[in-house]
Amino acid sequence: MGILEVKNLTLRFGGVVALDDVSYEVKEGEIFSLIGPNGAGKTSMLNCISGLYRPNEGSIQFKDSPITNLKPYKRASLGIARAFQNIELFPHLSVLDNLMLGRHVRMKTGVLAGGVFFGKAQREEIEHREKVEQVIDFLEIEHIRNTPVGTLSYGLQKRVEVGRALSLEPDLLLLDEPMAGMNTEEKEDMARYIIDIHEEMQTTIVLIEHDMGVVMDLSDHIAVLDFGKLIGYGTPNEIQNNQKVIEAYLGEENTV
Amino acid sequence: MKNPFVMDCGEFHVNYKQDMRIWKIARVRWRVFLLIAVFALLPLISSDYLIGLATLCGIAAIGAIGLNILTGFTGQISIGVGAFLGVGGYTSAILTAKLGLSFWLAMPMAGIITAIVGGLFGLPSLRLKGLYLAIATLAAQVIILFIISRWDAVTGGTAGLVLSRPEIGNFAFYSERSYYYLMFTILVLTTIFTLNLFRSRVGRAFIAVRDRDIAAEVMGIDLFKYKVLAFVVSSFFIGIAGALLGHYTMIVSPEMYSITVSIEYLAIILVGGLGSVFGSIYGAVFITLLPVVLRAGVELLSGVFPELSAVLIGLKEVAFGLVIILFLIYEPQGLAKIWKNIKDYFKLWPFSY
Repeated sequence: MGILEVKNLTLRFGGVVALDDVSYEVKEGEIFSLIGPNGAGKTSMLNCISGLYRPNEGSIQFKDSPITNLKPYKRASLGIARAFQNIELFPHLSVLDNLMLGRHVRMKTGVLAGGVFFGKAQREEIEHREKVEQVIDFLEIEHIRNTPVGTLSYGLQKRVEVGRALSLEPDLLLLDEPMAGMNTEEKEDMARYIIDIHEEMQTTIVLIEHDMGVVMDLSDHIAVLDFGKLIGYGTPNEIQNNQKVIEAYLGEENTV
Repeated sequence: MKNPFVMDCGEFHVNYKQDMRIWKIARVRWRVFLLIAVFALLPLISSDYLIGLATLCGIAAIGAIGLNILTGFTGQISIGVGAFLGVGGYTSAILTAKLGLSFWLAMPMAGIITAIVGGLFGLPSLRLKGLYLAIATLAAQVIILFIISRWDAVTGGTAGLVLSRPEIGNFAFYSERSYYYLMFTILVLTTIFTLNLFRSRVGRAFIAVRDRDIAAEVMGIDLFKYKVLAFVVSSFFIGIAGALLGHYTMIVSPEMYSITVSIEYLAIILVGGLGSVFGSIYGAVFITLLPVVLRAGVELLSGVFPELSAVLIGLKEVAFGLVIILFLIYEPQGLAKIWKNIKDYFKLWPFSY
């Protein structure tokens, strides 16, 4: 059963067709990768899923209910979390506060209880702090817990970004190029974290990544986009032998 | 016994409760209590003139904390503070003078009414950001001031309204000292409330909206709700400050709430430090006392150079503008940051390599 079903999705910006009649489904508990050359529409796809773009046609279903027209914040409370391609952390908040913010939809304190603090707000803060500390522990970022995110290195910021999404305890985790700009060692670490998230928390993951080695190793299923069209879907093995995909990446043989 | 001159090295918290404290180190906590005690005892030994100045500083600080919640923490510029102060002052004036309610009911009502008005004028904030929002709040300033000065039947028009000082039983807050204590209590409560707000869920959401609104929305924050909420919370405190100011001066009239006041409040939070609760207080003290100090300076100089005094009085406005420009250039994070730098310097003093 698919946790996320995308049907006939079309997204246009004026005359440009960013996504053209794309349909696929992501099965519960799998790692699903979206790949494709630059400008293929991968990030546009994620923007449609997390609600930043409204598709012109088609529908998106999450856990069997339509979310096509929901606002982004409502999708977060349904359990969709996202880490951005360009780091979108809150630079003046500490790592801890960034992660606590990830738990926003799971918490309830309002203005009055928050201002009084003692009692309800404090109890809730402590309860959710424990969850956040588990994520901190999991991603091994204990040492930077109280550092403002803006001062951290790129690699660490990427990890905190994943951590913030993870704090939401999502059912569906969208990762937009979590390894972009990293060296081999950092990539290996990140790949390990993704596997661990998948195995220990049974989170369904949608991954966009350019490193084919990583994609082929991690994914259960892969969808390939090219100029907004879905040109391939299948297991890593099937994709590697898909003629259309090879053409999209390497160019057609007769033109070379 | 522990050597009292040696500082603790490191913080050792054993539970989350300790780690969430506003002041995490016992020594710092005692310093804060001491400071509160000093300010609570100060009026007992100082002159009425000084207490009056302190009261004005404190009232400005309450309003500035309110504005900082909106502008410093949530990143929404407002040039309507003057008018919102007016809404607070006039609400309290109408409720006490015309309807005969007690001050203790009228002041919170002034806060609530101002919060509602602020929330209404905050509605465009979803679509407007930065300068555009600033212009929208300027509209609030103009519209509210227009209503205040034209609705003669309710607001007394340009003549304004006369208020009385609050009373408890037979005791009225007529002396400077008693009103100082009233202001001081509310200032301390406001400060604690705001500090608490920003270590819990809603405050974090405000900062998130300021830093990265798109990411905030994807992480589950309803942008519209929190932007308007920031206007509501901020205006509540500005309304309270307005009511306090009205009952202190015992008169409210339209010219007390002109756009100059709005600019002055923006200057307070700029000089004090955007996004800093204590910065608002430092800034309020600084901007309130600056003209007083300048005037004293001019008087002092005019004794020596009598012919210069006319020129120097004109220079007061220039000096005011100059201070703001210098702060913007040399320390955009304001007095709060300067104070932090001083503390950091002495942390390692005298070996601060």
